Amino acid sequence: MSSPLAYAPRGGPFGGVGAGAASLYLGALAVAAFAFSNPIVLAGAGAAVVVAGLGARAAAALAASARLSLGLGVLIVAVNAITAQRGDTILVRGGEVPVLGQIDVSAEALVEGGVLALRIAVVLAAFAVHSACVDPDRMLRMLRPLARHSALTATLITRLVPLAAADHARLREAAALRGPAAAPAGRAALVRRLVAGSLDRAVDVAAALELRGYARGAPRDAGPRPTSRHSWRFAAAGAAIVAVVLVARLGGIGDFDAYPTISIAASGWTLALATALPLLAAAPFLGLRGRHG
Amino acid sequence: MSRRRSTTVAAAVSLAAAAAGCGFGPGESTSGEVTLTVTRDYGANVLIETSEEDPAESETVIRFLDRETELTTRYGGGFVQSIDGISGTVADGRSIDWFFFVNGIESPRGAADVPAHGGDRIWWDYRDWTDALRTPAVVGSWPEPFAQVSAGTERLPVRVVCLTVRRPCSDTVERLAAEGVDASIEPRRAVAHADAEALRVLVGPWARVRSDRVAATLEHEPATSGVFARFERAASGWRLAALDESAAPVERLGAGAGLVAGLRAGDDPATWLVTGTDGAGVEAAVGLLRTDSLAHRYAIASAGGHEIPLPEGG
Repeated sequence: MSSPLAYAPRGGPFGGVGAGAASLYLGALAVAAFAFSNPIVLAGAGAAVVVAGLGARAAAALAASARLSLGLGVLIVAVNAITAQRGDTILVRGGEVPVLGQIDVSAEALVEGGVLALRIAVVLAAFAVHSACVDPDRMLRMLRPLARHSALTATLITRLVPLAAADHARLREAAALRGPAAAPAGRAALVRRLVAGSLDRAVDVAAALELRGYARGAPRDAGPRPTSRHSWRFAAAGAAIVAVVLVARLGGIGDFDAYPTISIAASGWTLALATALPLLAAAPFLGLRGRHG
Repeated sequence: MSRRRSTTVAAAVSLAAAAAGCGFGPGESTSGEVTLTVTRDYGANVLIETSEEDPAESETVIRFLDRETELTTRYGGGFVQSIDGISGTVADGRSIDWFFFVNGIESPRGAADVPAHGGDRIWWDYRDWTDALRTPAVVGSWPEPFAQVSAGTERLPVRVVCLTVRRPCSDTVERLAAEGVDASIEPRRAVAHADAEALRVLVGPWARVRSDRVAATLEHEPATSGVFARFERAASGWRLAALDESAAPVERLGAGAGLVAGLRAGDDPATWLVTGTDGAGVEAAVGLLRTDSLAHRYAIASAGGHEIPLPEGG
C-alpha cells in the first residue's frame, strides 16, 4: 500500500506535464496563499488547489493533506489565541499565567489563527498534489543546473517527501503484520523512525548521484526528456496566476487586518480575485480528456 | 468521583479562576481617564495625544495603542516594531526603537502584559537607545508617579527629603499638593536610607544630595543612570554637564543651574532629584515642577532662566 503523497503516474492531462510547468502551476497557487491574508482570497486559492488536485487525479493526496491540516490548524488557532494578546473583542479573560504573562482570548486572535491555519492548509495541499503528481526524477533533472554541486540539497528538495511518504506506508504495513501479540507501534515512534530513515535515504541517493557524476552535468547525448504537449497550458496558467496575484497585491486588493477589530476587504475586486483563482487553475484542463502525451 | 466531589472541584476551580481575574468578556470598567501620548526623539516631537474614559478591566497598553495607531509587532505580538509606519531600525550604527512608560516608569514588561487602568498615563517614545538602553524613570508624566491615580487605596507614601533650607522643600510640597499629592517632609537623616516603600523627592544642592545611594547613580554614564546629565566638580563647587543623546557633553552649566530628573534602583519606587549646583540652582529646579516644563521630558535642567530638555537636542 503506497502513501497518497508518494509519486505515482496518474495519467490525465497533468500526468505528463514537465516538472517546470507543474511546479510553476502549483507553486503559483502557494504564492497566492502566501501573498494574501484575506480569508475570501485564501478560500479562492484553496478552491483552486482542489480544482488542480482533482484535475490531476490526486484526490487522495488532497484528502491526506486536509487531515494533516485539520490537526495542525486546531493547534495553530489554539496557540495564536493564547499568544496574540491583541484584539478588542475579548471573549475570555484568562488572567496572568507565570512565564506566559497575560492570557486573554479575543475573537480577533481566533480569526487570525484561523487565517494562518487556512493559509497552511492551502500551501500543504498544493505541495501534496505536487508530491503525488510530479516525478521526482524529473524534478532532480530540472534542478541539476541550479544545484549542480549539491546533490544532497537537490535530493532533499525532490526526494524527501516522496521517500518519507513511501517509507511511512511500508513502516505502517510492517507494524500491522507483526501479529496480534506484538505491542502496538505508536504514531510518535513511527514518525521518529520515518524522519531518521528519510534523511538517511536522501543522503544515500545523494551519494549515489555524486558517484554517477551528477556534478559533471548532463551527458552530451542526453536530449530533453519528452514532456506533454500540454505543458505550456499549465505553465501559462501558473504565470497568469502569479501575474494576477502580483497586480492584485500592488493594487491593494484583498486587504485584511485582524487588529484591533477584524477588517476584511470584501469588494467586488476581492470577490473577482477569489473567483479568478479557481477558474485559472481549471483553465488548463478545459477541453482535455483522458491520457494525453 | 462522586457527583458531590465533582461539584466541589468545579466550584473550587471557578473560585480560583475568578480570584485570578478570569472570566468571560472584557470585564468591568475601571473608573477614570487613561491617556496615551506618542512622541519621538526623547519627547521632542509629539505625534499623538489621546485619552479613553473608563477603560475595561481587560484593557492593556497594546490594545489601547492598537486602536489609535497603525501597529506592527514582533516576537509574538509583545514587542512593538512600528507605530504609524515609524519602525525600529539601526542606522549609522545607532539603534532606534519604541519604548513606553506607564506613569513615568519604564515598563519592564511587554505592552501586551501591562494593563491600562483609569488614571494611567501611557507614554510611547521612539528614541535612540544606543547609549542608554534603560531610562527607568522619567519626569514627563508629572504629576505621576506621585499622584498614583490608578492605584486606588494602595498608594505609596510620598516623601520630600529635605537636604537644604526649608523653603525649597515646602515649595516642592506645595507644588505636589497643587496636583493633589499629599507629601510629607522628611528630615535630613532620612537621606541615608533609600526607602523601598515610598516615592521620594530629594531636594537640595548636589553636594548634599549625592550622598544618597540612588542619587549617586547620576555620577555614572546615562547607560547606568538613564539620565543625560551629570554633575562635575569645578573649582568653585559643582557644575552640571548637559549631555546629548550620544552621552556627549553639549554644555556645562555653572552657578544657578538646576536639575529635575527621575531615578530608580531596581524595582524600588522612583526617586526624583530636585537639585542644583547651589542653592539658587535648587530653587530654579523647584520652579520646574509644573506640567508646562516637565511634559514629555525625560529630565530637565534650568540655567539662567532657560529650560534645557535632557538629553539636550533631543
